[in-house]
Amino acid sequence: MKKGLNTGLTAFAVLTYLILIGLPTRLEGAAQPVLALLLALFFFAVLRSQGKEMGRGELLQSGLVAGLVAGLLVVAEIGFFVGLLADGVKIQPVFDKVVPLNMAALLNVRAGAIINGETSLLAYAILTAYLTGAGLLGGLLVLFTRSGTASTVRSTRIPGGRWLVILLPFLLFAFIYYLGLDGVKTFGNDKNIVRLLLVLVATGAGLFALAAAKEGVEKLAIGGLLAGVLLFLPFVLNQFQNSVMSIVFIFVMMGLGLNIVVGYAGLLDLGYVAFFAIGAYVYAFVAAPFSSPYISSLLTGMGISPDSPLLGYWSAIPLAMITAAIGGVLLGIPVLRLRGDYLAIVTLGFGEIIRLFMLNLGDLTNGPRGLLQIAQPTLFGVAPSALTSHLDAQGWIFLLAIFGSAVVAFVAIRLNDSRLGRAWVAMREDEDVAQATGIHLVQTKLLAFAIGATFAGLAGQLYAARQINIFPENFSLFVSIDALALIIVGGMGSIPGVVLGALALKGLPEVLRGVDEYRIVAFATLLIVMMIVRPEGILPSARRRRELHSAEAPPPDESDVSDKPTDGQLEGGRA
Amino acid sequence: MPMQKQSLSKSLTLLFGIVVGLLVIWRVVTVGMAEGYPASFWISQGINGLVLGGVYALVALGYTLVYGILFMINFAHGEVMMLGGITGFFALQFAAAQGWMEGSTAVVVAALLFILVAGMLGSVVTGVALERLAYRPLRRAPRLVPLISAIGASLFLQYSVLLIFGVSPHSYRKPDLISGGIRTGDVFIPYTGLIIFVASILLMLGLYLIVQRTKLGRAMRAVAEDKDTASLMGVNVDAVIVATFVLGSALAGAAGVMLGFHNTVVKFNSGFIPGLKAFTAAVLGGIGNIPGAMFGALILGMIEALGPSALGIPTEYKDIIAFSVLVLILIFRPSGIFGEILSEKKA
Amino acid sequence: MAALLEAKGVTKVFGGLTAVDRVDLTIEKGSIASLIGPNGAGKTTFFNCLTGLYQPEKGSITFDGHSLVGQRSDQIIGLGIARTYQNIRLFKGMTVLENVLVGQHVRMKATPLGAVLRTPSQRAEERQAREFAQQLLEFVGLGGEEETLSTNLPYGDQRLLEIARAIGSRPQLLLLDEPAAGMNPRETERMIDLVHRLRDKKGITVFLIEHDMKVVMNISENITVLDYGKKIAEGKPVEVRSDPRVVEAYLGPGVLLDTSGGTEKK
Repeated sequence: MKKGLNTGLTAFAVLTYLILIGLPTRLEGAAQPVLALLLALFFFAVLRSQGKEMGRGELLQSGLVAGLVAGLLVVAEIGFFVGLLADGVKIQPVFDKVVPLNMAALLNVRAGAIINGETSLLAYAILTAYLTGAGLLGGLLVLFTRSGTASTVRSTRIPGGRWLVILLPFLLFAFIYYLGLDGVKTFGNDKNIVRLLLVLVATGAGLFALAAAKEGVEKLAIGGLLAGVLLFLPFVLNQFQNSVMSIVFIFVMMGLGLNIVVGYAGLLDLGYVAFFAIGAYVYAFVAAPFSSPYISSLLTGMGISPDSPLLGYWSAIPLAMITAAIGGVLLGIPVLRLRGDYLAIVTLGFGEIIRLFMLNLGDLTNGPRGLLQIAQPTLFGVAPSALTSHLDAQGWIFLLAIFGSAVVAFVAIRLNDSRLGRAWVAMREDEDVAQATGIHLVQTKLLAFAIGATFAGLAGQLYAARQINIFPENFSLFVSIDALALIIVGGMGSIPGVVLGALALKGLPEVLRGVDEYRIVAFATLLIVMMIVRPEGILPSARRRRELHSAEAPPPDESDVSDKPTDGQLEGGRA
Repeated sequence: MPMQKQSLSKSLTLLFGIVVGLLVIWRVVTVGMAEGYPASFWISQGINGLVLGGVYALVALGYTLVYGILFMINFAHGEVMMLGGITGFFALQFAAAQGWMEGSTAVVVAALLFILVAGMLGSVVTGVALERLAYRPLRRAPRLVPLISAIGASLFLQYSVLLIFGVSPHSYRKPDLISGGIRTGDVFIPYTGLIIFVASILLMLGLYLIVQRTKLGRAMRAVAEDKDTASLMGVNVDAVIVATFVLGSALAGAAGVMLGFHNTVVKFNSGFIPGLKAFTAAVLGGIGNIPGAMFGALILGMIEALGPSALGIPTEYKDIIAFSVLVLILIFRPSGIFGEILSEKKA
Repeated sequence: MAALLEAKGVTKVFGGLTAVDRVDLTIEKGSIASLIGPNGAGKTTFFNCLTGLYQPEKGSITFDGHSLVGQRSDQIIGLGIARTYQNIRLFKGMTVLENVLVGQHVRMKATPLGAVLRTPSQRAEERQAREFAQQLLEFVGLGGEEETLSTNLPYGDQRLLEIARAIGSRPQLLLLDEPAAGMNPRETERMIDLVHRLRDKKGITVFLIEHDMKVVMNISENITVLDYGKKIAEGKPVEVRSDPRVVEAYLGPGVLLDTSGGTEKK
């Protein structure tokens, strides 16, 4: 009873927050069921963790009480707001989103009814019923999952389930292809966005299929097939879908690079955007020299016309990568001796410095006006869209991003499983011992920074080509945070995790354009909840999972001295 | 030979330091001769620096306190300050609606105190909630985990404020009592600047006394030293940590309100950059070191105010100067100018 | 026999405390030597000076013709000194095999580029490293545990793994910091046997810190005794055991009487 009350109060706080940020206004007619569903999920999570020893009746009662408490309190709150609004009190100067539309959505009435004070008690009763129902539903869900019916649905339990997981992405891709055929009208006006969502889901499902496949031939075959399908995608998607997928895969490249620095070597770098920016600007300088006042005057002085690109996309790749690597080493040298958290702040400062330079070095970077009309990548001198009508400019960028990601992933895998990769892990775990084991710390850290920066440079170059025009605000702190967040959400140190993270954090928000303003709060909440509930990420690397779970237990060198020898005694007979 | 290798890297660092130092001096001298700003200009800038430093110091203390005790960077501390500013704004609206801001001097002073306390309360609530929801569950986790949670909290607070209170900036209206300033010759000192400086000094003094002289302060130092031992000695570690957040947040709230009056606007992201700067100041002074944070903040404030003119570069570069100073300090003195201490024993 | 390691006047000061005070010490090539002394006598500090974790304020250390003072610990292991730690410091997130592979880091040459391209030489080196790691694990008695996570090993086995990791660097001199601490008698026997085999089969000179006098008296050919950072005695086990200064340092003769009675051999 008391627990139910507490849960209800917490739920009330959450609902109040959702009302204050104006979510009901956005949901319009669907506000009541959607909020009830969200609340039910919340109750499910809470009840499942605290209701482990509760009996069936107690659990349902708890859910009911919580739902009722939350419902009554929310209704009282809404009644208060509605009363104020009806009296003509302006709430908006304080709470920006408490407007008649918001209240109307909550009570499922017309906005006019709120302003004129014509709300019926029935409307309030229905809302209360919805929220109480959510409490019951949460309790029922706990019961349902507890009785084991849900767990048997898991792929591993039912025979052939594994194959279902493996087949799923291919089925989805086939459906995506079908949707793109001429004359298919399914989903009407929303087809564009539904198809994009399916592409994201299918790509994610591909990762799980890969994880479900057995090592060896099976994995190779499925990986190959998935790669083939992925490469086929740019040709069947439209311009919009391709542009979203290209940014997703550019961030995969970024994430894989940052993963080397943070995930493998354990150096928390919050200024990763700097190298992304270096790659982008270096390419822009050579591909659109006329945009930069300084470079164009320099070229004119040397008798070269600045109107055409100095280097093509392909020949600029080494330049962008090397410049970014130099940036990585230059950042690396001063911060080598710093501890983890200092490192985070200094790198963050470095990222900001680079952005401020881009903003203020107007002569070179054209300041906030940006560098414009950056030349597009070609294929042996020809624009691919001229070769086939199936591949638009964004599809070509998407294709390049897939290639780039594959290259980066390949390098990352090879490095991880090598002398250098082991040195990174050793250094991350215990710097002193790593050094005493013969690892040259300076070299090993600088290599991590340089390799990570190189990949960011590569991603930045492609980004510049995708954007055509780049501005300093494209390279804010949020790029670093996005890149960091996607490897954390996906699973640090894990390559499929990075892809999944990019799909979820860069792809999904594009699908959810309507609720874009809630993107960052949702994302921030996700970050916190993730750290508390599952710090190793959705698809973690085996090593990270082990580390984070052994960290919960007290370190063995202190507590184990007294009790471990007994273990040793038992084990002693084995040798 | 190996002997030389070690000293080689040290002397290289030293050489680099000397070169940087000489370059800066050369630049300052040449610019100083070329521009020839009047003395009053430098004095005004210096005063600006002190005011800025006072604000940074109040916020930096929050970083230092939390770091000293939990060894984590409370990345959302700048947002705690911003929420103090927002709460203060609404308190000001309320006070203005009651007509307190046009009353007699005593009434206005009381109203200002009310606003200050409201802002501090707003920050305290935020800080404590932050600790309870986002940090406490992670106390035993590896260090990266709470830092990421803190980044999440920072974003969450910023964008929640944006969504709940709207995009338009909240403008503080100064009452007549504090809207003027003192003018001596060419030097102008705004009252708000004066108040900020004096109030920061008083608040810091209060904090110093709490940490050094009270039972709570002793418990805080014990927890900073060793949580497990402290708890064995009967110190309620959770309570001490909450108290630390309360103290740090209250100072940040005061800074938020005062900055609101000084800059006249508060918006969702107005805590971010000052937060970063304050952290820089805390590191500059040696994180975990309370007097260090105060001096670090004053130094940073001065550098920011005087640096651009002294070096003859546009003021947009002041952030670059601040971060460059941070990087340089960390190269030469990785534990800050005054070293990292909270209690004497740790030195 | 020739001296492998020669320390002269090594001094390390922390604040006002002289943790190691003008210590001279010589280790013969191919010997098993011990460093003993009461708690806080400066034994581990001396080890740390030898391995580059600390830089001594004064004195010289010569190893195999190289001066060690001023060298970083990664350079010292390259010269051929490896060590273990008193409070076991394995790489916890790594498997047993990976720990030994990291131990071989300093003897491997693969470059990042080589690793990315999987050049024939890199692959050959990696294969040899794995085979060698396998051999070493069998040598210390951890064969079959390759894929176990190092933290999941029982305590005594973790000490064995630390030794395997250390000898992965093919050292000439191995420093063991309390190898038998916290072990039961049976494990201690195994450890003693292992130390002998290290010297006899692998030709590694062993220098160890140990509290268990049974172990020390059993395996050492030469013993150095530290007290308050100063060397107070040195010599063969029999000599050291009867040295009055040593007896005094250990506060009463009980400890030593115990050991003289404990020289039973199996």
